[in-house]
Amino acid sequence: MASKKIDKKDIAKLLSLWSQQFAVFTPSQASGVATMAKWDGKDASFLDWYRNTVIPPKANFLPAMEEMFGFQKDREGYHIELLPSNERKQLIFGVRPCDAKALAILDMTFKEAYEDPYYLPKRSSAVLVGLGCTNPYDSCFCTSLGISPAQSTDVDLMLTDIGDEFLIEEVTDKGKELIAKATEVKKASKEEEAKAKEVKEAARQKVTRKIDTEGIGDRLLACFDDEDYWEKIAAKCISCGICTLLCPTCYCFDINDELVRQQGARFRSWDSCAFPLYTKMPMENPRLEKWRRVRQKVCHKFKFYPMNFGVIACTGCGRCIRLCPVNWDITQTLESVPVKV
Amino acid sequence: MKQESEWEPKLVGFLCKWCSYAGADLAGTSRRKYPANIRIIKVPCSGRIEPLFLLKALRLGFDGVLVSGCHPGECHYQTGNYRARRRIAITKKFLEWVGIEPQRIQASWVSASEGGKFVDIVTEVTTGLKIVGPNQLFSQERDGDGTEATARG
Amino acid sequence: MEQRLRHEAKALLEQGKVDWIIGFEPGSLKFTTTPLITNDKNDADRLVINPFIVNNLANFLTEVKGRVGIVAKGCDSRSIVSLIQDNKVLRESVVILGVPCLGIIDLSKIERLVTKDRNELDDIIREGDKVVIRVDGEKKEFPTTQALFDNCLACEFPTPQEYDILLGEPKPAAPNLAQSRENIEKLEGMSPGERWDFWKNELNRCIRCYACRNVCPACFCQRCFVEETEPQWVLPVPRWQDNLIFQIVRNIHVAGRCTDCGECQRVCPVNIPLRSLAREMYDLVDELFHFKAGMDKDARSLMTHYEEKEAEEFFR
Repeated sequence: MASKKIDKKDIAKLLSLWSQQFAVFTPSQASGVATMAKWDGKDASFLDWYRNTVIPPKANFLPAMEEMFGFQKDREGYHIELLPSNERKQLIFGVRPCDAKALAILDMTFKEAYEDPYYLPKRSSAVLVGLGCTNPYDSCFCTSLGISPAQSTDVDLMLTDIGDEFLIEEVTDKGKELIAKATEVKKASKEEEAKAKEVKEAARQKVTRKIDTEGIGDRLLACFDDEDYWEKIAAKCISCGICTLLCPTCYCFDINDELVRQQGARFRSWDSCAFPLYTKMPMENPRLEKWRRVRQKVCHKFKFYPMNFGVIACTGCGRCIRLCPVNWDITQTLESVPVKV
Repeated sequence: MKQESEWEPKLVGFLCKWCSYAGADLAGTSRRKYPANIRIIKVPCSGRIEPLFLLKALRLGFDGVLVSGCHPGECHYQTGNYRARRRIAITKKFLEWVGIEPQRIQASWVSASEGGKFVDIVTEVTTGLKIVGPNQLFSQERDGDGTEATARG
Repeated sequence: MEQRLRHEAKALLEQGKVDWIIGFEPGSLKFTTTPLITNDKNDADRLVINPFIVNNLANFLTEVKGRVGIVAKGCDSRSIVSLIQDNKVLRESVVILGVPCLGIIDLSKIERLVTKDRNELDDIIREGDKVVIRVDGEKKEFPTTQALFDNCLACEFPTPQEYDILLGEPKPAAPNLAQSRENIEKLEGMSPGERWDFWKNELNRCIRCYACRNVCPACFCQRCFVEETEPQWVLPVPRWQDNLIFQIVRNIHVAGRCTDCGECQRVCPVNIPLRSLAREMYDLVDELFHFKAGMDKDARSLMTHYEEKEAEEFFR
């Protein structure tokens, strides 16, 4: 299948075309932090600075805060008011392969484990336009998890930066449809396709951080009860939620109701297993000690999730390493897990 | 039937049991009139007041908060109002700096015999609130058309 | 300083004078350090002192059990003293390894100055009052006032006031308050309504990770007010109203114990200018009660002390 291409100068026109059908999201720093925000309709200057967002694209489908329904209270009881769904289908432009894979991993929880009525409608109608990395961070380690920084099968269109243009590969039919009527999209030449191949390989080479995931689940299980080991590993963690809240594959959420006089609402919001009260129950808290929570986080991602769903719940995006207040590094932890004798 | 054409500010008063609450009571038994805008909550001592009370009151929609206790040196628990004084001073100044109108947070020393002073204070504070207007500080607004996803739903 | 530190730390562990050493070791990313908490004397050789030792290690004192040898910059040592004033830490149970501090380099400022990310830089060196950055074979120089953290620019006590071993020559203070308070001045120039809108806008993107709280040495409550459900003051839901109340109350709770170490702002993953709140409180406390956090270990903390006459202007 021949690839297509588009001039970088024409990206804004393409986004405009898509805005007719979709709510288009692009990388943006306008709010004060790099995130996928509604495209301002004007320009594509984000291409100048964009490496990856701080807030992962999971926020588009599992927002940090979501009102599930409202309710009224009166003498007869509670009357639930479902919120009208006035949301347009989303198109997210610029999704990195690690984040795209992460969404596929999230789908296993929200689609297969159970069907989440808030996540699914948004997710199934959404279109992802992937953008391959040319300049990975030193915290990236996607290649160790079977992911290429420059290629993805979890998006609908895959873009590769070949200089003044993007090479476009149609990954799904949805993607094909997206550019079927786009006049700025042209056929790519063999040279351009070859250039893209070079760019992709160069990106792979730039990912220097590596971990060995061979049998990592079993290795973790083998040292599971080694309290001293985990205490040492957990010593500098401060139990904030940054690594988990900003992890593109983490999905834990909390549900809270609020009733003020006669009006109320039920909210879903991000929660973190790193918080001390995460597992607090009336009688006890099984993860009161910090080392248990740190152990749980590592084992969930590299042992229990693969055990249940067949895939490691980490895509090597490196956000946890870059943003951790104390530079706690999961790759260092994984490397320190004793190799089974 | 009285027509309610004017907005009336809602004021909550945290009064210490031993002095200010008694002072308010004295105003009542003396048949002194003071604005019914104030809703009184009795606390054992002004030292019980936390900044959270003040902020939660504003969050719930009260237009103003009044904290009142015994005069310094006369606290039933010796030092409670000294603690309150430091706490309320920094709270008031800090909240003003964050952008809350200073008229919304008021504090006073009212002793058990100062029924008249209590009446004056509630009247002044209420008038001040009428001037500064309804509390719009924490009013809810949905962002845009609901599809803004800067990590929000 | 670094050699002396390693020597002292090793000795402290060998002689059984402390159970733990808390210091800094090189991090896993360029120009980063990470806390080292160890009871193994062989780890002492990993300890470093450089312009990137950013964490306030006093934060770990309320968690680590036993006697601790702790590396402390000026601001950190005041946090330790503040904890002693709060009776959370006993003076006898800490051996303070004081580091006279020239200021810590703010990587996000560097990244903005050269418009490159940290991992694309070859080297960052401090030379006197300049910071030299080597990138792409070129050398770029900037005055330290453009490269250090804002709170370092305002630092009045770079040399620890309280220490057991001072690892270097005391450094004189050279506070540049104007530079450091630039953001705060901008806010002070706004009307109250504008300020409220500013904070409303900033706190809108808070995700309630609680890094600001967890990294703060002054926040050591076992159960924070945000986690209280009876009564529930704020929901765990990251609505801007609840986020703003969280920040306001947190700053009031740490008033008089905050040393403006700047950690809260540094760790915020969504770049909320938290230090503008913390520093404002710091200055407010100084103005009203002539009190600076952590200066004298035998003094009473701000909230456990009172004068006969003070702050009367706030009361009718």
